[in-house]
Amino acid sequence: MFVQILFGLSALLTVGCAIALAATKNIMHSCVFLLGTLLGVAGLYATLGADFVATAQIMVYVGGVVILMLFAVMLTGGKDFVSKAQNLLGLAPTMGNKWTYSLAGLVSLVFILTNVKLISSIVKTAPAKTFTNEMPSTVSQLGHLLIKDHVLAFELSSVLLLGALIGAAIIARPKKNQ
Amino acid sequence: MNQTIVSYLSKYEFYKTLLGLFGGNESLLAFVIYLIVALIIIGFCATVGGLGTFAERKISADLQARIGPNRVGPYGLLQMLADGIKLITKEDIMPYAADKFLFYLAPLLALVGVFATLAVFPWSSGFAMSDLNVGVFYLVAISSLVGLAVFLGGYSSNSKWSMLGGMRGASQIISYEIPVTLSILAIVLLAGGMGFGTIVAQQKGLPFNWFIFHNPFTFIAFFVFFTGALAETNRAPFDLPEAESELVSGYNTEYTGMRFGFFALAEYIEVFVVSGVAVALFLGGSNLPVNIEVDFLPLQFVEVIIFVTKAALLYYVVIWIRWTLPRLRVDQLMSICWKYLTPIAIFNLVGCAIWMVAFNGKSLAELIFGH
Repeated sequence: MFVQILFGLSALLTVGCAIALAATKNIMHSCVFLLGTLLGVAGLYATLGADFVATAQIMVYVGGVVILMLFAVMLTGGKDFVSKAQNLLGLAPTMGNKWTYSLAGLVSLVFILTNVKLISSIVKTAPAKTFTNEMPSTVSQLGHLLIKDHVLAFELSSVLLLGALIGAAIIARPKKNQ
Repeated sequence: MNQTIVSYLSKYEFYKTLLGLFGGNESLLAFVIYLIVALIIIGFCATVGGLGTFAERKISADLQARIGPNRVGPYGLLQMLADGIKLITKEDIMPYAADKFLFYLAPLLALVGVFATLAVFPWSSGFAMSDLNVGVFYLVAISSLVGLAVFLGGYSSNSKWSMLGGMRGASQIISYEIPVTLSILAIVLLAGGMGFGTIVAQQKGLPFNWFIFHNPFTFIAFFVFFTGALAETNRAPFDLPEAESELVSGYNTEYTGMRFGFFALAEYIEVFVVSGVAVALFLGGSNLPVNIEVDFLPLQFVEVIIFVTKAALLYYVVIWIRWTLPRLRVDQLMSICWKYLTPIAIFNLVGCAIWMVAFNGKSLAELIFGH
């Protein structure tokens, strides 16, 4: 019961902040609501027994991504910095109109339908989740899986991240002849 | 399986009596226990934060050959209450051009970030509110909310001093997270687990069993961790976000009354948290100096006292450093982090890994005394 209430609160935080995120016009406020959404998702993970994923969610998104987003908002020049780029329909990409709205609506509808189709078989066959007061731990299982079964994917993604790190350092490095 | 205070107390007889009182409803009892423990911890830590301001003033006075606050109460001990009442009764000024929503939110985020770390704080072997298996990781992750709060506080005030302070604070906290986390990782490697319970349980006994004396690399790692932690809590000599000689008061310039109080309280509690983490990771945590295998409830209180005493001693060192060293420049701050602390921390991590393989995980003391 206790965990169920926490689950409900997390879900409420996630959905409420997501709606507020889409509704607000201030981009800084959007970033803060995004923070609330991501924290809510971390709460969902935690109440479903995935403690490591929940913590990683907080570490990566709250500590990294949201702060980076805020930095990006600060460092780009606000309304003086309007992009002149145009997309295929001859519109500025950031502007919404009936074309973009209907296109986005169609895409999300297709996306949701595919996902429901994919998930439905799992939901039907899986046993119902029972909430307990005991919090299981997934750290050692995850560690074993990462190092034994999925070691190639793990190493490849670490190489990818290293590449991104070196790339960022090269881009940010001051030019020699300037 | 994560141990919590509820699962710890359920070993004792009185838990069953309590369960009977609640009509066998375990969820409700767990909720009530968590609530009471949370209230005790928050009350205690708020007092620690208040006493921190008092200690800061007394110790700084001591170092500068002054007397310090001595009018309110015995030895000026009630000064913090007077300060608190002053902060609460002050007018709450909102700057005209401030971003109201974020301005209100920032001090709360700072407090939430600090109080959330207390959920895994290892007060003693049984009294940790929740001994998560990802304890240290969770603590590092959730404490980054404070950096966000500093940044948002600086931004929302719509003042140049605040803005500069907030930017400095965010970049400083993000940068210093790296050496701190790498130093913690070296300890996690030795302990073989991220939970505070696992880490503390392996440092039982006399000081040479502590992780700081485990091998030469952890000895260096402690100082890297401590330096980085000072910078993460915005304490001098790294208090650039609120450098009063350049930025008035930095990110909290526009804050008045209790909102400023929240930022100050969050800073002082965070110093205590960081000291406690350093104690748990490197300085033996809440372990008694002798090995007692008996599980006896009053012993837990002795452990709490040991833990808090050690943390308070480190707290003293933090204040001592603040009033001894001059403030760094911004470029010095960044070069210390990226050119010195981070490479040293990586070297320590690799060194610890090699030590674990070469000496089969034995500590220096075990190698010398051979037991």
